Amino acid sequence: MKFKKILTLVLSTVLMTTTLASCKKDNLNVPKFSDETINIGVSGPLSGGAAVYGQSVQNSAKLAIHEINEKGGLDGTLFAFNMYDDKHDPTLVSDGYASLLENGMQISLGTVTTGPALEFKELAKNDNLFVLTPSATGDAVPEYDNAFQMCFADSNQGTASAEYFNSNYQGKKVGVFYKSDEDYSTGILAKFEETLSESFGEVVKASFKGEESDFAAQVEILKDCEIIFMPIYYTPASQFMLAGKNKIKSNAIYYGCDGLDGVDAISGFDINTIPQEVSYLSHFNSSTTVGAAKDYIDAYKKTFGEDAPLSQFGAAAYDCVYAIYEALKVAKANGANVSAATTASDFCEILKTVFVSDSFVFHGITGAPEANGKSNISWSADGFVNKNAVKYIVKEASN
Amino acid sequence: MKNLAVTLKKVKWKHFINYIAIALVIAIFTPLSLGGSLPLTSRLLLEKIAMNILLALSLSLVVGFLGELSLGHAGFMCIGAYLGGKVALLLETNFNGDNSIVPFILALIVGAAVAGLFGFIIGLPALRLKGDYLAIVTLAFGEIVKTVFENSSEGTFGGPKGLKTPRFDNIYLFIIGFFLVLLCIFIIQNLIRSKHGRAITAIRDNEIAARAMGINVTKYKLVGFIVSAAFAGAAGVFYSFANNYVRASVFDYNYSIEILIMVVIGGMGNLTGTICSAVAVTFVNTKLQTMLTGDLAVLKDIVYALILVVIIIYNNAPALKGFREKYNFRNLLNKLFKPKSSTDKDDEGAWHRVPTKIAMDEVLSIDLKVVESTMNPDKEDKS
Amino acid sequence: MDFVLTLVNGLSLGGIYAMIALGYTMVYGIAKMLNFAHGDIIMVGGYTVLIFLSINPILAIVASMIFCLLLGIVVEKVAYKPLRGASPLAVLITAIGVSYLLQSLALIIFGAQPEYVIIADLGVLNIGEISIGYNTIITLVSTVIIMIALTLFVKYTKIGRAMVAVSEDKDAARLMGININMIITITFAIGSSLAALAGVFSLLKVPTITPTYGSMPGIKAFTAAVIGGIGSIPGAMVGGIFLGIVECICNSIPELAPYTIAIEFLILIVILLVKPSGILGKKRREKV
Repeated sequence: MKFKKILTLVLSTVLMTTTLASCKKDNLNVPKFSDETINIGVSGPLSGGAAVYGQSVQNSAKLAIHEINEKGGLDGTLFAFNMYDDKHDPTLVSDGYASLLENGMQISLGTVTTGPALEFKELAKNDNLFVLTPSATGDAVPEYDNAFQMCFADSNQGTASAEYFNSNYQGKKVGVFYKSDEDYSTGILAKFEETLSESFGEVVKASFKGEESDFAAQVEILKDCEIIFMPIYYTPASQFMLAGKNKIKSNAIYYGCDGLDGVDAISGFDINTIPQEVSYLSHFNSSTTVGAAKDYIDAYKKTFGEDAPLSQFGAAAYDCVYAIYEALKVAKANGANVSAATTASDFCEILKTVFVSDSFVFHGITGAPEANGKSNISWSADGFVNKNAVKYIVKEASN
Repeated sequence: MKNLAVTLKKVKWKHFINYIAIALVIAIFTPLSLGGSLPLTSRLLLEKIAMNILLALSLSLVVGFLGELSLGHAGFMCIGAYLGGKVALLLETNFNGDNSIVPFILALIVGAAVAGLFGFIIGLPALRLKGDYLAIVTLAFGEIVKTVFENSSEGTFGGPKGLKTPRFDNIYLFIIGFFLVLLCIFIIQNLIRSKHGRAITAIRDNEIAARAMGINVTKYKLVGFIVSAAFAGAAGVFYSFANNYVRASVFDYNYSIEILIMVVIGGMGNLTGTICSAVAVTFVNTKLQTMLTGDLAVLKDIVYALILVVIIIYNNAPALKGFREKYNFRNLLNKLFKPKSSTDKDDEGAWHRVPTKIAMDEVLSIDLKVVESTMNPDKEDKS
Repeated sequence: MDFVLTLVNGLSLGGIYAMIALGYTMVYGIAKMLNFAHGDIIMVGGYTVLIFLSINPILAIVASMIFCLLLGIVVEKVAYKPLRGASPLAVLITAIGVSYLLQSLALIIFGAQPEYVIIADLGVLNIGEISIGYNTIITLVSTVIIMIALTLFVKYTKIGRAMVAVSEDKDAARLMGININMIITITFAIGSSLAALAGVFSLLKVPTITPTYGSMPGIKAFTAAVIGGIGSIPGAMVGGIFLGIVECICNSIPELAPYTIAIEFLILIVILLVKPSGILGKKRREKV
């Protein structure tokens, strides 16, 4: 009995040390929260089923902060960063939020996913904390004047997709594959159906929920469709496309939203084995080879390794940090008092003024790139982002 | 004066320890919170503790006293949260009173009543099914409830996005929570220490024998399920007041298991233990979440799992029985406060360490000294 | 025609559920514990396949079975054996602890991003208008073979009969000279390697794996085992196939699809109310 106890103890110690050792992968210069730094906090899933999105955000935000700090921060004031795990569970947000705030958070990137974001925005409103969320796409997220989105809102994506359908895919039979228990999916779909022109006739719909991965039945429903709209994330999308590769018409088109970004970068999944065309409307393409986005991707892979999760979530977080940095620079130039001692509420007022002003245009890596390789991003007063989306064709139909 | 002293001595403090502890919490933290010196993290932690005590106590009625395994407790909570939240939402638009207690109480009543009704419905198969078969039925119930709310339309319960509910000011909310806990302790403790409670434990220990003794098994099982579900529903209403949104995806079977963990660690059929473990589990979980951040966040599940396995093995392993009896919390307390009374201590401790028995001597003593105990003497007379 | 297709899809999914449920029911029947970590063993098996796949697919399958077998034994020795004789609820909670542990270890070692594990592309068999994947056929045939083998093993070998004895009455079995600990360890070893095999078959069908990949199949297998009657080996097969078909029928009707899980569980409740010990479960007479 005693022997087994000791064995357990030894095993768990070994386990802990290996774990701790494996966590020290990057050597980025990202300070912990302190009184001498401007503290940026965020809440997102770092464990559980949605961890891949949170990790991408954490890595990218740290990368951006590291780069800014290397250049001397904001006139010598460095930025600090911390991320709390919410497991994509709204009940865990408030603790993380309160704790971040008490540790000195001055500016926040909100949350990574929409469910927790809804809780976060109410708390942030009470404390007048500035929120610029990289990837919480819910329409209600920027409800209050202190919250802004870097990603396109759900309804925006639904409308834009439907308009694209109306002008490019007239006469085709439309199918939809969506996730019935996720507001990202149902939110986009609702707006999509509303905007889609009558001439398409009836839309064939198939859905899944939870962690289902066997989509044989859904493929059967959608097999006659010529264009399949998929407002879902890339993992189930890849599973669906694989299940339907011989059953869905080979000239059919898969069309998704920003959640589909990353579908061609899943380890072990070769998108070229899918005969159909795969494309999506988004603000970022994580396999791009042009512009500032490429520099980000190269730096990311160099720092975190080839296998680290890379998607539009991270790119948006990278842009969020830089947007805040640029906005603070503008505010400082305008005479605002920006220092490590500025309170969260003061930061919020300062940043809000800059973000809604017409003259503030941020040049980032998400959105359609201009001639200089960067995109133009601005914000409307209600917190929604204005930038050009791009239709990325991941792969053409192979014939 | 002398009479008072005698009466005080005769009072069974053990019966009141739960009330005293909770009352102390209220007495200490209320002025701190109203004075504004209680940080937000502590207020949120207290809210969670109050909610989890409610959940753990209500589940312990079914698991610890009735002896039925339930994996669908979050389902009752879900019903309470949605209905309570909806009621408060409707009332808020009519009353327009900020932080008024009226919508809270009405929501509480509706949430608890409907959850209790579903407790009755789930209690029915419990009459026919045993053990793990009942466990899967309760798990199924929880998932069905979750799915139904998830697929509700935007206008009724908000669908997958969740229902936006009015959030109570967190300066007061935890106080209300602990008053609810007091009510819950009062009802469950009196139920358990009455003849009804003894009937319930008799059913747990041997259903057929209990039936043969003339105990109405149907009635008691249903009562157990209804009371348990109603308090879970109340905890759900509390949840809807502590959060801005009620989302069905929160109330999955993992949540039910989390509550079950509190009950099992606390010792089955031990109310004080259940309260302590609910506090401890909530505290540990929150601390792990707020301390292990960033790159370390992946470690918190490992730490939690290890703590869980070690505690369960320590508490339950038959091989460690001698070790446990030598070094335990009760002995430590006894050593600190009553260094001399070591003779009767062992005997008493032994009863408490049998996890599936409630303190039998206590139950028996109630028969002899009805008037002094905390229960309602009228009900006793009827027997 | 559509219905036949749905049935074929259901069989394909049901075969995998049946395979998982076989291991589940085996452990439940003998050790009398709800093994919530069973699904996570499947996940570990999947990742083991991923590691060895680059060398040889067959080697990968064998390696995954052996690794899971060892893992099953270690988990049983460290986490469950100390609790032999304690309340079944305590064992249930430890199993949950082990499940959390395996999931977060996988998260740390392999990361959160999904991995594709394509063992082999087996192609499809076309009969008229219906096409059946060879993986479906292999899964079903293997499940039936394993079911028969397990039944024979339990009925006719010494260890198998000892297992039945342990499941019927632990104390009496001990008095008859059966080494209970060894029997239970063997049960876990078999159950875990079956889980690894189930992992392989589900990877043949849907080749993705993530750290939380095992939790849903675990619950589904539990449901399948209960529908068939926990502890009954043919029952697990029946329950698994039944569940797979119900799931595919629901998913093929767009209006019902969002409610699939609710419908499955509703059917489970109805079955249990009609037959409280599952379709093929034995009814035990209770004694005082």
